[in-house]
Amino acid sequence: MGSSSSKKVYVLSAESSAGAFVKPPSRLTVGARETLDMTVIVLPGVSADIPLTIDLTGLGAEVNLKGIYLSTGTDEVSFSITMNHLVGGCRSRQLFNGLASGSAKCSFFGKIIVAPDAQQTEAYQENHNIVLTDEASVNTKPQLEIYADDVKCSHGATVGKLNEDEQFYMRSRGIPEDEAKVLQMISFVAPVLNGLEDEALMARIESAIRSLAI
Amino acid sequence: MDQKEEDKIIENVTSQEYKEGFVTDIRQDFIPKGLNEDIIKMISALKHEPDWLLEFRLDAFRKWQKMEMPRWGHLDMPEIDFQDIIYYAAPKRDEDRPKEIDPKLEETFEKLGIPVREREALAGVVAVDAVFDSVSVATTFRASLAEKGIIFCSFSEAVREHPDLVRKYLASVVPVGDNYFAALNSAVFSDGSFCYIPKGVKCPMDLSSYFRINAAGTGQFERTLIVAEEGSSLSYMEGCTAPMRDENQLHAAVVEIVVEKDADVKYSTVQNWYPGDAEGRGGILNLVTKRGICKGSGAHLSWTQVETGSAITWKYPSTILKGDYSSSEFYSVAVTNNYQQADTGTKMIHIGRGTKSRIVSKGISAGHSQNSYRGLVRMNSGAVGARNYSQCDSLLIGSKCGAHTFPDIRSYNPTAIVEHEATTSKISDEQLFYCNQRGLNEEDAVGLIVNGYAHEVLSRLPMEFAVEATKLLQVSLEGSIG
Repeated sequence: MGSSSSKKVYVLSAESSAGAFVKPPSRLTVGARETLDMTVIVLPGVSADIPLTIDLTGLGAEVNLKGIYLSTGTDEVSFSITMNHLVGGCRSRQLFNGLASGSAKCSFFGKIIVAPDAQQTEAYQENHNIVLTDEASVNTKPQLEIYADDVKCSHGATVGKLNEDEQFYMRSRGIPEDEAKVLQMISFVAPVLNGLEDEALMARIESAIRSLAI
Repeated sequence: MDQKEEDKIIENVTSQEYKEGFVTDIRQDFIPKGLNEDIIKMISALKHEPDWLLEFRLDAFRKWQKMEMPRWGHLDMPEIDFQDIIYYAAPKRDEDRPKEIDPKLEETFEKLGIPVREREALAGVVAVDAVFDSVSVATTFRASLAEKGIIFCSFSEAVREHPDLVRKYLASVVPVGDNYFAALNSAVFSDGSFCYIPKGVKCPMDLSSYFRINAAGTGQFERTLIVAEEGSSLSYMEGCTAPMRDENQLHAAVVEIVVEKDADVKYSTVQNWYPGDAEGRGGILNLVTKRGICKGSGAHLSWTQVETGSAITWKYPSTILKGDYSSSEFYSVAVTNNYQQADTGTKMIHIGRGTKSRIVSKGISAGHSQNSYRGLVRMNSGAVGARNYSQCDSLLIGSKCGAHTFPDIRSYNPTAIVEHEATTSKISDEQLFYCNQRGLNEEDAVGLIVNGYAHEVLSRLPMEFAVEATKLLQVSLEGSIG
């Protein structure tokens, strides 16, 4: 991997030829002063296990890992991410937002490991989920395993619903309920997509979100 | 801080004695070492138990034999030889005066600051049930509680005097085969406390049980059963200590709490079992199953725990929120130092509509210790509008310890909201500097900061316990900075 920052985007879509989408590699190494910037997008109609282990092996390594999953029908999407801070002075950020509709089952397993003596580590992880239907379910397990003391580590996870006050605000200004929900869902995944400039991809994501709003 | 100063402080800690580590020399009844159906029959016979309870024990034992030791904890658990444990040890009673407490025994409890006698008018707002090794030796304030219809007695007595109640609720919250240690406890449990609050009664004083392991080579397997009927309320406290020994001693307790409609139970624990020495030799293996059920609507159960002792703690006080609009809280401070290991947390199972739970966990690790939070929040499909908020903070003191967070959030309901956040950090140099500037030495500064950090939990403890817990935190961490 080069020391320059490169953005990698993996789109897992049911429209891929014969369903053979390209999953991200299951193990990556980020060395000294290298930067990994990766986004994984799982569109409706995809069932997949996505295991990913990232080893930070050199001083100054930086990882920006993001993802969205838009699941519906009988989709089963499962992320298992291990962020392995083997040496100190590295930084990792993770942000995964997911929408579960239909009778989809989404699970997010994310572990941050900070090895002994990997001091001055900064590792953050966030996972937010919205359950849209009675049959859908979400299981999230964010984990921290920390063996060094001079670190800044945090994780946050939420599972919730679309905010009704926001819907009321929009409806009272003439936006129909369905459209209001679409706007909420778009704004929910937007932080993950910040910095991506692929117009065609954005359009695909928007139409995927519309397909969830029933 | 320079190296010398650090060494000095570390030396101070290691020489810090576990002040509850004395052994009381009294005559005790033992049964032979080992575990088999004969031993269980012997325990049951010694306690003059009815047949149904013996059957209950044997059934549990048979289940236990088919189970395996759980390995999923983030713990380096020594092999436990279950045949090398004495499952029952009781202070020998003087047959002529069965109602009196052995003076030596009383002295022990006196040393520990537990008023067994009612003369303690000062501490008199607390009714105490003291359990020494396997039997309950004294329950105070029995009479004044009985006036209100409250039953507070040892478990053995409850079996004799209130068999219907015991039979109705025993294993109703923690089934016999729930887990390895619950099954073991169900087979060999010796004594414990039983508490029953009738409908609409507010318990006029805090109830407290006190556990102590004294005899070598024994295990303690107490069983606590609390039933709060509709509209009643209770505050219950539990404390534990043990002598210093080089071997690991086993403590496998089960606590069951039934909270009926609109009842309110507050359960507080200050756990200070012997944690082992500075090199990690000895100490109590504290493997405990605690669970409550909010059965009726509007029921409320609150857990508060301060865990400073034990070589290994494996404990997850849990609440099943079955009644609509019932609520539960879990407040925990777990401190580990030297080679202690703790894997502790909670489970909140939301079944009823509009159920609410809140989890606040503060882990503090120092020395070479490992401290983990493990929790489950489950929103079942019927938990419409249920709400959970969890906060798990870890504080690391020193570079050789570990702090871990393992939450598990499962939501099967689109209207339920779950939030979890966790942070890990150390005491910053700026905080220490600020305190030093104002004339506090390093040690006091750490104590102050840790107490501030744990304040949210400590403030939930009943008064008597809060004072003890604050002191314990200070002692547990003394000299751990560096």
